[in-house]
Order: sequence, then structure tokens, then C-alpha cells
Amino acid sequence: MMRKLRGAAVLALGLGTVLLATGCSAGGGGSSSDGKVTMTMWQNSTTGPGQAFWKKTVADFEKTHKNITIKVQSIQNEDLDGKLQTALNSGSAPDIFLQRGGGKMKAMVDAGQVLALDDLVSSETKSAVGKGAFSAEQIDGKTYAMPVDVLPEGIYYSKDLFAQAGITDTPKTIDELNEAVDKLKAAGIAPIAVGAKDAWPAAHWFYNFALRACSEKTLNEAAASLKFDDPCWTKAGEDVAALNKTDPFNPGFLTTSAQQGAGSSAGLIANHKAAMELMGAWDPGVIASLTPDKKPLPDLGWFPFPTVAGGKGDPAAIMGGVDGYSCSAKAPKEACGEFLNYIVTQPVQEEYYKAFNAPPVNTAAQAIVTESYLKSVIAAYNDAPYVSQYLDTNYGQNVGNALNTGVVDLLAGKGNASDILTGVKDAAAKG
Amino acid sequence: MTNSLGEKTLADQRSPEGLSVAGGGTRRVSPPAGVRPVRRSKRWGQRFEIAVLSGPAIIIFLAFVILPVGLAAYYGFYRWKGYGVPTDFVGFGNYALIFADKAFHEVLAHNAVILVLSLVLQGPLAIVLALLLNQKIRGRSIIRVLIFVPYVISEVIVGTGWSLMLQTNGAVNGLLGNIGLGALKTDWLSDPKIAIWSLMLIISWKYIGFAVILFLAGLQSIPEELFEAAAIDGASYWQIQRRITLPLLGPTIRIWAFLSIIGSLQLFDLVYIIWGQYVASTAGTSTMATYMVGQGRNAGNYGYGNAVAVVIFIISLTIALIYQRFVLRRDTAGALTEGHK
Repeated sequence: MMRKLRGAAVLALGLGTVLLATGCSAGGGGSSSDGKVTMTMWQNSTTGPGQAFWKKTVADFEKTHKNITIKVQSIQNEDLDGKLQTALNSGSAPDIFLQRGGGKMKAMVDAGQVLALDDLVSSETKSAVGKGAFSAEQIDGKTYAMPVDVLPEGIYYSKDLFAQAGITDTPKTIDELNEAVDKLKAAGIAPIAVGAKDAWPAAHWFYNFALRACSEKTLNEAAASLKFDDPCWTKAGEDVAALNKTDPFNPGFLTTSAQQGAGSSAGLIANHKAAMELMGAWDPGVIASLTPDKKPLPDLGWFPFPTVAGGKGDPAAIMGGVDGYSCSAKAPKEACGEFLNYIVTQPVQEEYYKAFNAPPVNTAAQAIVTESYLKSVIAAYNDAPYVSQYLDTNYGQNVGNALNTGVVDLLAGKGNASDILTGVKDAAAKG
Repeated sequence: MTNSLGEKTLADQRSPEGLSVAGGGTRRVSPPAGVRPVRRSKRWGQRFEIAVLSGPAIIIFLAFVILPVGLAAYYGFYRWKGYGVPTDFVGFGNYALIFADKAFHEVLAHNAVILVLSLVLQGPLAIVLALLLNQKIRGRSIIRVLIFVPYVISEVIVGTGWSLMLQTNGAVNGLLGNIGLGALKTDWLSDPKIAIWSLMLIISWKYIGFAVILFLAGLQSIPEELFEAAAIDGASYWQIQRRITLPLLGPTIRIWAFLSIIGSLQLFDLVYIIWGQYVASTAGTSTMATYMVGQGRNAGNYGYGNAVAVVIFIISLTIALIYQRFVLRRDTAGALTEGHK
């Protein structure tokens, strides 16, 4: 009896130790002694051609790089940032991951969790990718991510629904936008879809009004000081409130998500249930995956955010992000760099454009873009006097989160323009 | 655990000769010295057994409950972004911010409403259903299963299903329109005046099965003889329920209420699934737990989030202890067994 018990005790102790030990040790890939390298990669396409693109790209890359294996993991877009932060903190980060840039990238750099890529970017890559795209991935002159596409923002709309409502020309000013909203409503069409459940799509209306209201200098200074005392910020909030008064958004927008399913804002556009959506250049790809036949929406059009009277911002300025990929600090340096150089080569970038319907970052690959809306996106991007990052990315997670929540509250009738800025101040105290 | 001091006093009490007469336990009055060596080795064996049997559970409890609580308390004293090691010590600064935050007052109010409404809505209804299902009626087992099924379905499925049905252009509004009750169409989830009631409806639908099952089990344990005796004495059905069933169901009801209170305080998953990461506060359904995730993880203020976690822990613990002390004590008093007998 005693002997049995003692055996059981040793077993239990052993098991406990093993449990604890395995619980504490987790990690990304690494290189083994025989020169073989295994890396993990996190990207945010969970369906359709986007996911297929990454699978194919990695398979092609592995064919020419026999010693490198890359495991691709699809992480749902809304979950990605939280999971990534947890993984980075626990030391089990993926070797290659989608980088949003801005304040989020800065926090990772400050904590020494990403690799500086300056020695790894090849000269071919440097000449193929525009300087502007790289500048979005740099902090203090050092590059921390490889840009893969440019994502300028504007309003995507259905040409058929516009015609149905008798709108002949795309709105240039905010007054023209209001007229279009009235006409669409009269025709029984929900004018603007917005996925306020995810908060940021609603907040992008505030960001674009701020882009028109505030000067470039004010925008940049706010990124450093995180103070929003300039009256232009209140004006931007009031502009959102004024727009909201016209009741332009799809019914029940507060519980509408941005990208998931036919009931999401992108799904409403894809199924002709709403006419317009303010979004970044990834939207055509998302819409295409939500149309009944999973093909790109044939009547999709694009126009830049309308001008607003009385603002200090340049009327042609554009808001836009750059998607990039970073290597985590623990990633095998050479292999990771080689893969990142590979994904911006012209053939891969052409495939990228076909998979995501988004403007590629490789200037040679941009030439094959055929869709009228993407051509106008690229033209507007190239003509813009300056491009501002999305404000939630630019001003970091904490302020971004507070801005997003404040704008949603405003749209739902809970609080006003100055409450957005009060919320930001409160948030700043918490972190 | 035995304690050598207590043992001695026990032995001392036993030794007087009067005990052999009063208790009739002559066998127990043996010289303590003769017993001790045997007892000691037995005690070691017992201790060993206790260590082996409870060891794994204690290790897991310490590692996954006590350690995280301690870490949360530690991180709660820092302004910390969650990257690297915390360095910016702020003392009780985070706690001061929490209690000054209007949004936190709101979530406290929401939690209180959910707690009270859960008890008020589910309790009486579950008792009535349990009494009904305790009768011999046709299709009883099918009704039991139907009532219990929502409890078995995972929160994510329940949340997704209800949020699709209650969308402004969802099935519920469509049904109302089709049966001529179009006037009742409303924004079930987005209107702050209605959203919390929608949430209560879903919670009640989901968890009432659990209450009913508990009460049914409680009803089964009431001896049949009591009802027979009361019936012979001429008590009506309602008198029997009022005077016999309910009082004897008391312990079950009190335990259910305890579980319901704890569940209400910690409510997270349903709200998070239905309203997502951001709009629960706008819709008026945010809870302490969604506040913690929103302010901690979404905003990246991990130090602050940990402080919120500590506050939730203290609130839940306080309420649980008070309830145990003043409500549950009479139920558990006889149920606890002493260490050695």
C-alpha cells in the first residue's frame, strides 16, 4: 500500500513539474544545427483568394529556398492585434507578422520586439518600392517593416445604386454628399454603411473630417504630444455630429460589424443593400469575398473624401495606411529578410494585387491595375500633397481606442464632440 | 489536521474514571503512552496520503488562481503598456482613476441591474416551472429537455444566434412585421433603453434551465410523506406548496441565488459576443469584465486593466463572503465534517 502510494506521489510530482515546465516554455521557430530554418507567419486573410495567395507565395518561396519552411497562420483581423501583443509579451511571437505601423509599431520597437530591417532590404527592393511607402514603416530613420501595399482611404460606392437614385456625379463637397444621401433615402436605399460594432470604421469618419479641419502640422504635433487642444479637433467632431444628424447610416449600424458576413457593412455594399462605405483600399477585396458569387462587385466605384468648408487641411490630402510585414526580434534574421524581399518582387506583387484588389507597393506591378476604382485610388494617392496615417494607428493604441469609442458614442447620441476629446484625456491618464 | 495540543486535552478528559460509566466507552480509556507510537506512524501515513491526493490540485490552484491574482495586484500598481517589464510605479493611482471613472460607475450600475433582474426574473419563473414539471404531465421529459438545452449550448453560439436574430433587419423584426405587429419593431441591440432588456431576455432564456434542474432535484428530495400528511389534514395544493415545498426548497434556492449572483458579477462572454469589443458601453450593456478588457487589452493599458481585475476580484469576493456568512451559513453548518472523528 505504502509503496504504491509513494509511486503515485512521484508520478504526480513528476507530472506537475512537466505541466509547469511545458507551460512556461513556448517559442517561435528557429534554426537547427543542419541549417534548416522554420518560421511561423501571421496574416489576416481567413477566406478566399487572400488566404490562397499566402499559401501559394510561401509554397513558391519554399521551392527556391529548400532550407526554409514557413508555417502560415490565418488570424481573424479583429483578433490579430490583441493576440499578437500577447504573443510578443510571452516570448512566443510569430517570426513574421502583419505590421499596422504607427504608434503600435513604436510600442513594439520601444520594447525591442521587432527586428530593424535596414541591412536586410535588398537594393532591388529599394528601387522597386517607393520611398513614401517605406517612410511609413520607419522610426527615427530605421525601417521596421516591409510595406506590401498602399491603402489610401476614400468612399466606395455602388454605381448602380447611385444611378437608381438619380445621382449623376460623385460628391465633391460635403454639401453634395448630403444631397446624395437625401436622394438615396428618397429612393429607399440605405445611403452609407458603417460597421460601428468594430468602432474604427465609424471613427474613420472623424479621422477624415479631422484631416480636412486640421493642418498637416497639427496632425503631426498631436502624434508627439498626444494633446488635442487645437479647435480643429472639436470642429471635426462637430462635422461628424452634423453629418449624423442627417441620419445617413444603415439602420442598426451600432451592431453592424465591418467585414464579417453579408450583414456587415462591406456585405451590405456587396449585396446592394447600402450605397456607400468609407474604407481603406482593402475594401474591394473584402467586398468581393462577400458578393453572392464571390467575385468582385462589377459596379464598384470610388471617390476621395469630400472637401469641407472652413478647414485648415489641404483639400487634396488623403488618409491612408500602409500594410507591412515585420520580423520579430527572435526571428532568424537572414531567412526572414529573404522572404520579405521576395514578397515585394514584381510577380508576387502582381499576384498580391489580384488576390486582394488592393494597390500593390511595387511601382512596376501597379501598371497592371485595371479596375477604374483602383486607378482613381492610385491617382488620388499620387496627387495628394501629403498622406496621413490612420489616426488610431498614428496616435497609439490607448488614444486610438478612446477616439474610436468616443466617435461611436457620438453617433449613438451618447455624448457630443467635446466628449470625444475628454475621453482621450481620460485615457491618457490610464496609460 | 490533527494538532498535538488538542490531542492531549482530549486524552486528559477521557482519563477520569467517570467516563467509563457515563459513556460506556471502557475501551477508549487506554493509557495514552501505549497509543502514541502507533498513532505517529499512522499520522505520517495519513499526511502522506493527504499530500499525494491533494498535491496536484493545490499546485494547479496555486499556479492558475493564486499566482495570477498576485501578479494582477502587482501589475495594478504600475502604469504599464504590456511591453517588457513594468517600471512606472504609480501606487494606488490606477485605483483612484477607476473609482473616479464615469464609465466604471456605469458598469457597476449595469452589473447591479443584471444581478437583481436575474434573481427576480429567473427565480420565480424557475420555481413555477419546476413545480409544473414535478407533476405527472404528458411530455414531461421532452419539456425538461427543451428547457435545459439552452444551458448546454455554448455562450458563443447563443450570442451569435441571438445577435443575428435581434439585428435591426433580423428575424425577430421580420417576424413582427409579418404577423402585423410592425409597431413593435425596434433596435433590440442598439437602443440603449432596450438593449439591457434584450440582454436579460437572453440570459434568462439561457440560464433558466439550470435553475429549473436544481429546483427539480431539490423537489425530489422532499419526502413524499409530508405531502400525504398535509393532504390528509386537508391542506390545499397551494397551501402545501406555500407551507411545505418552498421552505424545504430553501437551501436549493439559496445555493442557486449564490451561483446566479456570482455569474451576474462576472458576466462577460454573452455581452462580448453580441456587442463586440467596443459598443457595449454605448448600448448600455457593459459589465465590469467588458470594462476590464476594453480598458486593459483594447486600450493597451495593461497596468490599469490589472487594477480593474483586482477591483472586480475584491467586489466578487466581498459579496460572496457576505452571502456565505449571512445566508448560506445555516445550510452549510451541518454539512462540514471535522478533521478527525
